[in-house]
Parts: sequence; structure tokens; C-alpha cells
Amino acid sequence: MNTAIASPTGRQPTDWAADAMQRRIRARYRAEKRFRFYGLFAILLSAGFLAFLLITMVSSGARGFTQTQIALPVNFAASDIFLEPGQLDGEDRAQLLARADFQNLARQSAIATYGEDGPRLLSNGAWVKLRNAVSDDPTLLTREEVIWMPASTEVDFAARGDMGPRQSEERAAMIERYGELDEAGQVRRALSWTFLTMADSSDPTLAGIWGALKGSLLTMIVTLLLAFPIGVLAAVYLEEYAPQNRWTDMIEVSINNLAAVPSIIFGLLGLAVFINTFYLPRSAAVVGGLTLALMTMPVIVIAGRNAIKSVPPSIRDAALGVGASPVQVLTHHVLPLSLPGILTGTIIGMSRALGETAPLLLIGMRAFVATPPDGFTDPATVLPVQIFLWSDELDPGFVERTSAAIIVLLLFLLAMNGLAIWLRNKYEQRW
Amino acid sequence: MMVIGFAAIGWFTARMRAARLRPTEGAVRAHSLPGYHGWYVALWLAIPALAFLTVWSVVMPGMVEQSVLASPAAQTLPASDIERTAILGEARALADGSLRAAFNEEAEALAPAFKEASGFYSVIGLIATVLLAFACGAYAFLRVRPDFRARNRVERVVMWVLLIASLIAILTTIGIVASLLFETIRFFDRISPIEFIFGTHWSPRSTTFSDDPGSFGAIPLFWGTILIGAIIAMIVAIPLGLMSAVYLTQYAPARFRSVMKPVLEILAGVPTVVYGYFAALTVAPAVRDFAVNVLGVSSASSESALAAGVVMGVMIIPFVSSMADDSLAAVPGAMRDGSLAMGATNSETIKRVLIPAALPGIVGGVLLAVSRAIGETMIVVMAAGLAANLTANPFESVTTVTVQIVQLLTGDQEFDSSKTLAAFALGLVLFIVTLLLNIIALSVVKRFREAYE
Repeated sequence: MNTAIASPTGRQPTDWAADAMQRRIRARYRAEKRFRFYGLFAILLSAGFLAFLLITMVSSGARGFTQTQIALPVNFAASDIFLEPGQLDGEDRAQLLARADFQNLARQSAIATYGEDGPRLLSNGAWVKLRNAVSDDPTLLTREEVIWMPASTEVDFAARGDMGPRQSEERAAMIERYGELDEAGQVRRALSWTFLTMADSSDPTLAGIWGALKGSLLTMIVTLLLAFPIGVLAAVYLEEYAPQNRWTDMIEVSINNLAAVPSIIFGLLGLAVFINTFYLPRSAAVVGGLTLALMTMPVIVIAGRNAIKSVPPSIRDAALGVGASPVQVLTHHVLPLSLPGILTGTIIGMSRALGETAPLLLIGMRAFVATPPDGFTDPATVLPVQIFLWSDELDPGFVERTSAAIIVLLLFLLAMNGLAIWLRNKYEQRW
Repeated sequence: MMVIGFAAIGWFTARMRAARLRPTEGAVRAHSLPGYHGWYVALWLAIPALAFLTVWSVVMPGMVEQSVLASPAAQTLPASDIERTAILGEARALADGSLRAAFNEEAEALAPAFKEASGFYSVIGLIATVLLAFACGAYAFLRVRPDFRARNRVERVVMWVLLIASLIAILTTIGIVASLLFETIRFFDRISPIEFIFGTHWSPRSTTFSDDPGSFGAIPLFWGTILIGAIIAMIVAIPLGLMSAVYLTQYAPARFRSVMKPVLEILAGVPTVVYGYFAALTVAPAVRDFAVNVLGVSSASSESALAAGVVMGVMIIPFVSSMADDSLAAVPGAMRDGSLAMGATNSETIKRVLIPAALPGIVGGVLLAVSRAIGETMIVVMAAGLAANLTANPFESVTTVTVQIVQLLTGDQEFDSSKTLAAFALGLVLFIVTLLLNIIALSVVKRFREAYE
């Protein structure tokens, strides 16, 4: 009887101790281990890629925040700049400064100190620094002073001991020259204020991100002012009031579709509608903001609906029960309770908009903008577009500028996401 | 600005009046709170006035132009339409101060007339706005009585505002479809759709002056897009994303999971321009060196499909892994336990039970990832190159639909050339394809969910 149960078909019971069986079991366990290892490997590979990306950016970008500077003794008193300190108090100060030939002064001083090829050591636009120095302190004009000037890209490369892509005797000579300068204490590495305070420039030693940062800020303001109210109102309507009919179905479907449309399509829309139909100014922050608002709105609507949905119905019923009207229920109870969730979604949508490049390229925000924008309709560029533009530059000096700008952008995104996570953790409620 | 000021004043006065009304009534209690009366009056003050202002600002330029044309200075204007418009435009710019000096002398002469006329019509508009605001405000103010249902009226307006806000989504969709369709139809007037969709030669750069239909064949672009977005990127993203999700849901200790999941999500949050820069600067040269030195591919380009595709695949990993994560978690625990109880190892359970059961969700996630990859722009713009090659060699340079859209629309060309219109046609194709992929993906996911509920 017993044997019949063990092997109803007359088969021998499995011999677990047999060699073949043990081998199969071991093979299965090996396969198990291997599979598990593949999983771990996949995760570590992805994380490693991220780490590699960040390390590459940080290591080449860290230099972008600093600048090689050269000491340049400038004798203002003996120069052929006919300016007196007293003159600069007047109204025509800017004009006087613009007329004075600081470019030549920088050239002459460089030749006097470093010989014939002295001017080559200085950045092309270094003379601007002289002008700013005089503007800040007019008494400079009466004496001789050592000014730290931004060095040219070549010196910058030599400072790194980098032969660059084109290895040449010239480069080698420059490295040697730099060594001499370094010994004499005539060069230093300092934090580059120009990078943080200037706008775009064709000269990498003078290019800065302030213009792009300001453009990003203006664009984000427009985006937020449009996308947040519209998104929240639409979410409220769909979640609280919308009747179930064909119209609201259409609204829902189109919001979900908009969230999945490639961003470049929004650029085409902005170009066709805002610029070619409404004749809004090209390259302006207001058009960029409008375009990004259309893109961000669906994200806010979806986040807002989830937040509103999570407010329990009992709260609504209680408010309605004591005589509140639907709008009072909304403004006094539902919205305040769902606000943290809505804000989290908004910040995530905004951080996506902040990193967006493609639609802005299409509406002309890739123009070369050398002065920071002062208003919403001025030509502007934004941080990601600035990164894209610099990445196309041939001058090798732009490589570290680009990486430095990327670091700034990533820091901003990190701060925004950190804020979103903090909000979620602080105000998350379970009902 | 002024209208809003009026509305604020109306709000205060009406609120005060309503507040005073309240205690004096013995029998009838006020229906609405004073604030609602305030809002009612403010809305009546602001909405008609703002609506009038909007209409007026649309109508006014035409009326100004009419009166300028009737002025004596306009008699000397040339008859030709184009010149006329140019001069008028310049005069308008002179009058509002956005232009300092004019190119045409006639414009100088016309500027004062413009200034006068626009000043005149602005004053009329201002007076009319103020009158309208007062009239409507007074009407509303007189209705502030205890039994007046101000709250209901105000709430009806709020409902309308909410409805309008949600209609903007539909308007945007219509705007996208209409602008793409409109330009595409104009494009197909010049170049036949069959030539566009089935042609194999793409070189719009060569058609600066002529509209050679032979250079608008989009097949190489479609192929490049598929090669990068759907083939190379997915070869990277599917195994890595899927295995990451499997490890995180099935094997990883809780702490490891809580650290690694956000780390993977950062990959999706990095701006694409950063990936593009990374691909162009670091990955692409490495890929080329690898191809030339190790594989001996002499045609390897520094703008290869492989570099762009690999980096894009890395960007896509979090999408695949989070979708796979969700659908693995949705498989009922009983199926897993049953398999383990039969003596299967963990990996056998995952491979034979969990993944097949979660397959629709995973496939849906992959489709969504593909649609995202083919719509992605910056990585390919920066790393994939411009040459429209019809090649299967991943080390060669290929171009994609999004790259060409950017190429065709940046730079200075008039808006009517076939090149710019071609960009809209490409945009329409991209829109339709990504939409279809999304719809298919969502319906696959939906059907899967029903299976276990």
C-alpha cells in the first residue's frame, strides 16, 4: 500500500543523495546565485554610471569657478589716460570711462612688465577689469597699483600642465613660462567673480552665468504664475465638481496625453502660436515661460488631483453638514489639507521645467545674449540653453565653464527636489 | 490696474454695507456673509470692465490706423501695400517710443498723427471703462440686501473659473494638433506626402532656393530614431532596469532598497542637456576609440549612434525599473508562495512565475520608455550628429527626427520655406507616434490590472 502511494506509476522514488541529483541541486543554487548577482550588478552599474557622470562634471567643473590671474603693475598716474579722480564724480562718469583707452593701458603695462608677448598672457577682455577698478576707486588714477588680471586661456592651460589637444612647442614653451611666473609669485588661482556675475561672452575667461541664471529665474516666474493657478483650479474642478460626461472625459484624456507629449512638440507649439500668430517677442522670457507653463500644467494637475483625492470624504461631509457651501468646503478645508501634496507636485514640475532645453531652443532662446535681461520681454537665455551653447564652443576654455554651469544647474535641481522631499515628509498625513 | 483698484474699493464698501445691514434686521437674517456681497460687487466691477478693455485693445489699433490714414500727412503714402505697412509700422514704433529714429521720412511725418490718434482713443477707452465699471458696480451694489443670495452667485462664477482652467488643457491639445496640422498641410502642398514618408534621401540644407522634393525623404530619420531610441537605448535600459527592479523588490534588504531607489530616480531627474554634454564629451570619444582601436571599424564617427543610444538608455533605466517594480509588486503573493512551496528557487520563481505574470505591466513600461526615448532631443542633438545615414552600423553617425526639427528651426530663415514647414511635418509624425505608443502602453497596463482584481 505504502509503495503504491510513493510511486503510483511504478517509478522509483527520487534518490536525493545520488550524485546526479546533488549536481543538479548545486547547479540550481549556482544559477540562483548568478541571477542574484546579475541584479546587484545591474543596480551598481546604473549607480556607477551616475557617480561617473557626477565625478566627471565636478572634477572638470570645479576649475570653472576659479580663474588663473596674473599680477599686472599698472602705473595709472603716468599713463596717457587723461582722467582725474575728481572728474568721475560728475554725471558723465560712464561716458568718460567708456572713452578712456584702458585697452591700450593694459597692453602697455603688460609689455612693460612681461616683455613683447606680455599682452598674450592676458585675457582679451582683461582691460575691462582695469576700468571697473578705476570706477570703484577713482583715487587709483593718481598712483601705481598691482592689479590681478584674468589670464588668457593659454596660460590657464599651462597652469594645469596640460598640453592640450594640439601638442606643440608653443604649448611647451608656455608651460615653462608659467613655471617661471609661478616662482616669481606673479600668478595665482582665485575665485572667479566674473563667472558668477557676468553674462555670456565669446571669451571664456570673461563668460559668466549670471545672465542665464537671471533668464532662468524670469522664465520660471512666468511659468509658476501661469501653471500653478491653472493647474490647481483644473485639478479642483476635475476632482470635486466635474460631472461624469463626455466633456470631462475629454479634459482628462487630454491632460494625461499632454503629460506624455515630447517636450520639443511644445516648442513647436510655442513657435507657431506665440511667436508666429501673436507676434510675441522672440527669445523673451515671457514666451519661454508660457511654453513651459503649458508643459508643467499637466504635471501639477495630476499631482493636485492625487492630493485632493487623498483628503477623506468625511471632512467634506462634515463641512457640508454644518452648512458650508461647496466653495467654502473647498477653500476652508480641502485646499489647505491638500496643499503640501500640491506644492510637492508643483516643485517637481518646476524642476523639470528648469532643466528643459529643447522647446526653448525652438522659440529662439539660443541667441547670444551678452547683457542680463531686465524684464520679461528682453532677449534672454536660460541655464540649460547656456550649457548647450557653451558645449558647442570651439575654445577649449569653455569646457570647464560648461561643467561649472552644469554644477550650478544640478545644485539648483537638488535644492528644489530636497525642498519637495522635505515638504512631503513634514506634512504627509495618514488618515 | 485701475480696474482692480476699483474692484477692491467695491469689495470694501459693499462688505461694509452688508455688515451694517445685518444686525438691524429682526426677522430676515442675511442669506450670505458680508464677504460674499463684497465679492459680488467686485466681480461685477471688474469682469465687464476687463472684458471691455480686452476688446478695446484689439479694436483700437485698427481705429487708430483709420484716423491716421484720414489725416493730411497720410496723403503722400505710397500705394503699394508692403511699403505702406512698413511705414505705418515704423511710425507706430516711433510714436510709442520703442524706436528712436526712423528709416523712412514719411514715418517721421506720420508719428505725431499716430501719437495724437492713439492718445485720443486711449482716453475714450479709459472713460468708457470707468463708466462701465461704475454702472455695473452700482447695479450690483444696489442689490446688496439681506435676502440677496450673493453667495450662490459668487460660487457660480467660481465654477466657471474652474471650468475654464480645465479647458486650457483641451485648448493646448487643440493648439498643438492645429498648429502641426496646418503647417504640415502647407508642407504637403509643396512636397508630396508619399515622397516624404517613403523617400530615402534627406538633405534639406541643399534646398536653399529651390524646393527639390527629392531631398525630403524622411526614412533615414525614422530609421535613425528607431536605431537610437528603440534599439540601442532599449538594449541598455531593459536588462538593467528590469534586473534592478527584480533585485530591489525580491532580494535587497530594506535599507539597501531605501538608498538605491532614490539614487536610480536621480538618473531620471538629471537634465537631458547634462546627459547630452556628457555623451558628447566623454562617452562619444571613448566609443570611437574603442571602435577604431579594438574592433578596427574604420568608419567609426565621433558622433555615433551608439554613444547617444547608450546614454539615452541610462536615462531611461528608472522608467523601466519603476514600471517593472510596480507590476512585480502587483503580482499576488500567493503565486509566489505557491511556487516557492513547490521547491523552486527564488530565481526560478522570478523567471517562471513573477515575470510572466507581470509581463503586461513590464511591456507597458517598456513602450512608455520607447516613446520617451524617441521624443528625447538634447542627448541626440549633442551626441548623434546630423548626417542622415541609412545604416545599421552603430558606430556611424545617424540623425533623428528631433535633431532635424531643431536643425531646421534654428537659424535665420523665413517662416514660409519648405524647410521650416518640414519641421512641423516631422513634429506631427513624432506626436502621432508617441501618442499611439502611450495609448497602447496604457491599454496593455490596464488589461493586466484587471486580471488580478
